[in-house]
Amino acid sequence: MSVAAEPVQLPLARPNVLDLAPLYEVLRREAPIAAATTPAGDPAWLVTRFTEVRDLLGDKRLGRSHPHPEQAARITTAAIQNGPSGNYDTEQADHTRMRRLLTPAFSAKRMRLLGDYVQRLVDGYVDQLVTDHAAAPDRVVDLRDGLAFPLPVSVICRLLGAPEQDRERFHGLSERMANYAIGADAERARAEFSEYMTGLVEAKRAEPGEDVISDLVRAQSADEAFDYAEMVRLCVGLLFAGHETTVNRIGLGTLFLLTHLDQWQALTADPDGRVNATVEEIMRLGAPGELGLLRYAHTDLDVAGVTIRRGDAVILSINAANRDASVYADAETFDPDRAERNHLGFGHGAHFCIGASLARTELRIVFATLARRLPGLRLACTLDELEVSPTLTGSLAALPVTW
Amino acid sequence: MKVSVDQDACVSSGQCALTADDVFDQRDSDGVVELLDANPPQQRLRDVQSAAAGCPAMAITVRP
Ligand code: HEM
Ligand code: HEM
Ligand code: SF4
Repeated sequence: MSVAAEPVQLPLARPNVLDLAPLYEVLRREAPIAAATTPAGDPAWLVTRFTEVRDLLGDKRLGRSHPHPEQAARITTAAIQNGPSGNYDTEQADHTRMRRLLTPAFSAKRMRLLGDYVQRLVDGYVDQLVTDHAAAPDRVVDLRDGLAFPLPVSVICRLLGAPEQDRERFHGLSERMANYAIGADAERARAEFSEYMTGLVEAKRAEPGEDVISDLVRAQSADEAFDYAEMVRLCVGLLFAGHETTVNRIGLGTLFLLTHLDQWQALTADPDGRVNATVEEIMRLGAPGELGLLRYAHTDLDVAGVTIRRGDAVILSINAANRDASVYADAETFDPDRAERNHLGFGHGAHFCIGASLARTELRIVFATLARRLPGLRLACTLDELEVSPTLTGSLAALPVTW
Repeated sequence: MKVSVDQDACVSSGQCALTADDVFDQRDSDGVVELLDANPPQQRLRDVQSAAAGCPAMAITVRP
């Protein structure tokens, strides 16, 4: 039987946090655009081959909105990426405005200037880990609670102007929003997050600061086409996208390095020389989440012998694309020295991650600092013992390490 | 080496400027790429090629 004969039921369970379901390899070869059934039970196309995933991410004939949202295929019961979003008629204009507003705040230059601040934060967290390590009877500390989580949260709070003492609150809300195992509660979390953000937005309106939320409040009041609800949604999106993702990559990157000790030792021997390539390899393979980026076709289109109809849901598996053996030599191997230097870990094309410079800055500083200061770092449990939460971003609940 | 950029294709991601800030910059107003050096020295080839490979709009061309 060909794999294409029956829709693929999503999500495809992974054997552990670092590897993908073996079926992806078969799909890439035999059915790079396969009929699938979403976790919510609706039909969608699952795209797994690098070339098609990249090309479709760059294709303006697909979007996040749907011509008839009420008829659109649903993806999951989580409150993000559960279905179409935005207004079909104004999607491009709305998106262009969003990018124009945010791009300057997240430019490479600004992020490089933020580097010293990030370095001081990382040094502070590592100091604390060293102290906790010395005090712990078993010499085990949790790198998630001690570094992977607080760092991206502090950084995004500072950029957005969100109070850091609220971090447990909005982290809890983010986790619930992205949770596909709790049904309607995910939607309730989204509503609560909007309420929280509305409060913050109004506080900024009364007392503007040098931060992204204040900038957005100013821009919204100056532009009639920019509606209030959309601004709030965007602020929630930034707080969400700005922390969960980076927390996960720090966790997964640590796991990749500590399960490939030759690579860890190479990094400790030359942190500055090797960290950039190491981070890119972490971005290529460090793929939490089991679905992909979601789009809806805005016209009929023919791709790789398949006809996708207007309105069809299309799930672009950047995880599968990043392990395509026709693009990467030894695609499943963690190898920072590989010749291929591109990946789709931050997406591609018009929606390419706005926070990529920020995330790269944080990840480079984290891994260079860990390699320099804790060269003897080791995992204090096995891969199978690590607990993963049932969210779209598949985050680690804890990361016990020792040295 | 010869470098060129396509400002119409650029999506203002800033990844080129992060990778090789002596060759690429971003316009302050909208983040669109600006070429600082169209003929960078040969020892910059690796970084410039990385920038081209990492550009999410495939807007950078490099001829070694
Ligand atoms: C301001 C708006 C948005 C932001 C900031 C945003 C940000 C992100 C980020 C950062 C990720 C990567 C998560 C990870 O792999 O760790 C992601 C994944 C995703 N996003 Fe969005 N997104 C936005 C809107 C949307 C919309 C409107 C949709 C769909 C209609 C969508 C669908 C998805 C999907 C399907 C994933 C992949 C989840 C997985 O890996 O399984 N996003 N988004
Ligand atoms: C390692 C960490 C991160 C990863 C892996 C990541 C990944 C992604 C991906 C895959 C997308 C594309 C979504 C799509 O095409 O539908 C995206 C979009 C986005 N990301 Fe990130 N991201 C990270 C960090 C951040 C940070 C720190 C921010 C901070 C503001 C951020 C803000 C955004 C925004 C606003 C979008 C939406 C862009 C758009 O729709 O035009 N991301 N991210
Ligand atoms: S990397 Fe490409 S898309 Fe991003 S700013 Fe440079 S040229 Fe533009």
